[in-house]
Amino acid sequence: MVFNTGAALLDAIVLAVVSREDEGTYGYKITQDVRRVIEVSESTLYPVLRRLQKDECLEVYDRQFDGRNRRYYKVTSRGMAQLGLYKSEWKTYIQKINEIFEGGVTA
Amino acid sequence: MNRMEFMVELERLLADMPEEERQAAVQYYADYFADAGEANEADVIRELGSPEKAAESIKADYYGTEFNEADYEHKDYMEKYRQKSSAGSASGEAGKSRPWTSNTLKLILIIAIAVVLWPVTLGIALAVFGIAAAVVCFFAVLVIASVAILIAGGVTIVVGLAVAIAVPPAALVTAGIGLLMFVLGLIATVGTVKLCIIVYPAMLRGFVNLCRRPFYGKAV
Repeated sequence: MVFNTGAALLDAIVLAVVSREDEGTYGYKITQDVRRVIEVSESTLYPVLRRLQKDECLEVYDRQFDGRNRRYYKVTSRGMAQLGLYKSEWKTYIQKINEIFEGGVTA
Repeated sequence: MNRMEFMVELERLLADMPEEERQAAVQYYADYFADAGEANEADVIRELGSPEKAAESIKADYYGTEFNEADYEHKDYMEKYRQKSSAGSASGEAGKSRPWTSNTLKLILIIAIAVVLWPVTLGIALAVFGIAAAVVCFFAVLVIASVAILIAGGVTIVVGLAVAIAVPPAALVTAGIGLLMFVLGLIATVGTVKLCIIVYPAMLRGFVNLCRRPFYGKAV
């Protein structure tokens, strides 16, 4: 994609991806899901997840899998509120952009 | 480099972070490798670039420095874009050797340029060194001058007191001037020393950054 994904948009995408799983999801899967939509390198997401966790938008828990502890991420109620905010912001944003792209600028 | 080496190196690079942060990051990447599976291990390592890059992105976010993944991302994108437009289908192959080639190439280029232009580079290097030395000396001289005023003030006080018995009014004036000089010298000394404490490390940092820039890009 030619457009840069800013920090806020990346946060929003990660929150959206994690929120789709009721039971929570894990780092590798989150990365794969996000990469289906935008180009990010594999080292991009850890800092984002960590930050969202610190902001209490995500919570983590460990669960046994395949004889080891796997760390799961889950969206908190605060995270859901944040995601709702991002979604409505995004809606107004693309509407404005679309107006310019498709409707032209009325002087 | 295999997964074990990567993890050991990553853990080492994060050694200066708080234990909790380091544990969390190491756990994440250990999980990541485990979930990616052995078959994808090489791919994951290549994608991650190097333990240094991973460590840098973790630290940058934790310490809230400028750098951030957006920078890397953008660079990645620019490089990919250039490869796509110039190399077409060969982009996958070129992508594999990208991280170290560009750095080694840069280093060779820099050395080559320095060698070819050695009379110029030598001149510039000497000029930079000269200016740096002059600045260092300038601030040092300020300190020395301040200390000199301080000492002169002290001596004047002593002289003033020495003639106190013979000529009391003259002694008072001399001692007063001495006291004034002493205090001014003291203030100047403290001020200039503080100035040096600020200026010298800043110069050193600036110099180190300048040297690192060609190899690590901006804002390390």
